[in-house]
Amino acid sequence: MSSTLRDFTFEAAPELPGSDRVSQYGLGGLRRIVHRLWDLTIEGVGNIPADGPAILCPNHLSFCDSVFVPVSLPRRVWAIGKDEYMVGWKTKHLFPAFGMIPIDRSGGEAAQAALDTAARVLEGGHLFIIYPEGTRSRSGDLHKARTGAARLSVRCGAPIIPVGHVGTLEVQPPDRFTMKPGLPVTVRFGAPMHISDFGDPLDPRSIRPFADAVMFEIAQLSGQKYVDTYAGSSDNDDDQNDTETKAIPVPPGRARTPKMVAAPAS
Amino acid sequence: MNIASIIETHDANRVAVIDRDNTLTYGELRERVASIRHLLVEHGVRPDDRVAVTAGNEPMFVAAVLGALGVGARVIPMTPNDPLPEVDRKLTAVDPKIILVGEEASWMHDHASGIDAPMIDLGSVSTSVATSPEIVDRDDDDIAIMMLTSGVSGNAKAAMLSHGNLAWAQAAVCENTIDGMGADDVVFGSLPFSHIFGLNVVLFAALRMGAQVVLQRRFDLGESLELCADRGITLLAGAPPMWRRWSTADVADAFATVRLAISGAAALPIDVFEEMQQRHGITIEEGYGLTETSPIVTSSRGDAKGGSVGRPVDGVELILVEDDGTIVDRGDAGEIIVRGPGIFKGYFDDEDATNEALTADGWFWTGDVGVFDDDGRVYIVDRIKDIIIVSGFNVYPAEVENVLLGHGGVRGAVIVGNTHVDTGETVVAYISGDVDIAELEQLAASSLSRYKCPTKYHLVEELPVAPSGKKIRRELR
Repeated sequence: MSSTLRDFTFEAAPELPGSDRVSQYGLGGLRRIVHRLWDLTIEGVGNIPADGPAILCPNHLSFCDSVFVPVSLPRRVWAIGKDEYMVGWKTKHLFPAFGMIPIDRSGGEAAQAALDTAARVLEGGHLFIIYPEGTRSRSGDLHKARTGAARLSVRCGAPIIPVGHVGTLEVQPPDRFTMKPGLPVTVRFGAPMHISDFGDPLDPRSIRPFADAVMFEIAQLSGQKYVDTYAGSSDNDDDQNDTETKAIPVPPGRARTPKMVAAPAS
Repeated sequence: MNIASIIETHDANRVAVIDRDNTLTYGELRERVASIRHLLVEHGVRPDDRVAVTAGNEPMFVAAVLGALGVGARVIPMTPNDPLPEVDRKLTAVDPKIILVGEEASWMHDHASGIDAPMIDLGSVSTSVATSPEIVDRDDDDIAIMMLTSGVSGNAKAAMLSHGNLAWAQAAVCENTIDGMGADDVVFGSLPFSHIFGLNVVLFAALRMGAQVVLQRRFDLGESLELCADRGITLLAGAPPMWRRWSTADVADAFATVRLAISGAAALPIDVFEEMQQRHGITIEEGYGLTETSPIVTSSRGDAKGGSVGRPVDGVELILVEDDGTIVDRGDAGEIIVRGPGIFKGYFDDEDATNEALTADGWFWTGDVGVFDDDGRVYIVDRIKDIIIVSGFNVYPAEVENVLLGHGGVRGAVIVGNTHVDTGETVVAYISGDVDIAELEQLAASSLSRYKCPTKYHLVEELPVAPSGKKIRRELR
């Protein structure tokens, strides 16, 4: 099923971060502009519930993913964004007004506060976007999921909707400030996924299989090759300083397990 | 400090070991142990020499191990149940100076020609001697036990555990825990003493506290229930297959005196945990540990929850890491690595294996994948080596097996990976039971992502499962 410009239901939520007015009129304007400037195809929009909470998990290739995915949705949406956006004077006001919840990606209590806010959005019955890879993939491959989305799904009882898009990297490659118009972009929404289909929601062993299964579905939708490393951790990904991680020395005689790289499974 | 001293201070008239209808007091046990020390010194055994003890759970096994430790030797406990080629392979790996053979391993005397080291029949050792050598003092770091860990991975390796390693783990289950083992306990000794759990957590810990150990040479359900009731067992230790049998036993009051129930050696299925609670009112405490950790790492004592192996015990650091050593995100699965006083000193004469598992700063990389819950409890996911990688996606065999076991006709399931030209590996299921494969395919498709669904099913009569309950996957690959 494809979406049209008119298929949009605004949801007022004055108790949540973001401006109702900016979201209602700004997002409406943005949808018109995007549909006019790009050849946007939206598939599987029928997988988005008409009401109630859901977590949207897209692949992440370009800054403009955060434009194309929200404008493809028939409902208002909130999202987590890196708190570096809170430095620039434009983005500092504009992005939160659209519903961006800044997150401190060094982790800790500040990151937890952002996830708590995300939980409030879902508990209020709204849609929420979280990029499961945690950061943009600079290699173009689909990377291993962080578990935040899966844990949020358990905490709030919200399904995850895998999202795979194609074409955003060409519209705005890394380090390009502007978006190149006229190009085709496709956004595909997959069927809602529930952790109860993958194991006991109360058993922490269910989290990783669920997160992996979401990535599998995203790979089917985006056509990307999956690699079982985190985005930003491989030689091909230069976004390495996004998060600080601690490491323990590996035993000297231990051979690293080679991570197999292959085309999406069918 | 020598862990052979654990029996030295107890009242001579206290009962130490009960074997069938025979009772051995601590005084009598000390005499037998002294005889073994005398015998070994006469045979020229010196500190750090290697002494193999092959016997079942019999009184002379206890005396032989403590006697050999007492002269400062490194002791290799061996099961009497291995076939001769396996015995040969293990003896070659540890090259003992002398082999002490118990009643249960007496068959070995008929096969002496293939074994270099002299064998001594423990049945021929006198029960007491006029004089015997004193117990040799040892440092904490001196090696006490060399435990063979061929386990489920294949190659025979001997993990070197020091006197300090073993003493720390004993204290962890006795003095340094709530409701720890005490002098008044009557301990069920059926788990094999050739395994670190049976040896250190059951036998040595009980002897350390001056408790009674009721021996059972081979597990038998009916006999075990009689022993529980007749001997008034207070501490029941078992492996998951034993717990499954006990959980379904239709008996009244057999477990009336049991105050501590502990499981180890392999993951305890949740349905067994729940059945023991519901049918017998017994909460099984599960722990996690390995031969290389003496074996205590975690314990669920006082806070048991089905599926979890509890929290790390005091003194143990446990973290979860990626294969490059990066600590995993909160709530994510990773390889369990541990550091603490129970970590072994390396594998005997196998520097490569040691360097694969131990770091210079004392972290032992277990090869097990685990995950924490929000309350700090640990759950074991699978063995890293068993993970199947399909198109880059990880498939944990246990997850697929649990789904297939949900079919009423499936008695057992073992999942392995086969190489595949397109996807790298593919998932293959070995099933025992009475079941239609089409139904299993349907069950998998409705419960698992496509890449996790087995591409082949093999119906077999019996699955390769070790007595501990661990699956021996290498036989199916």
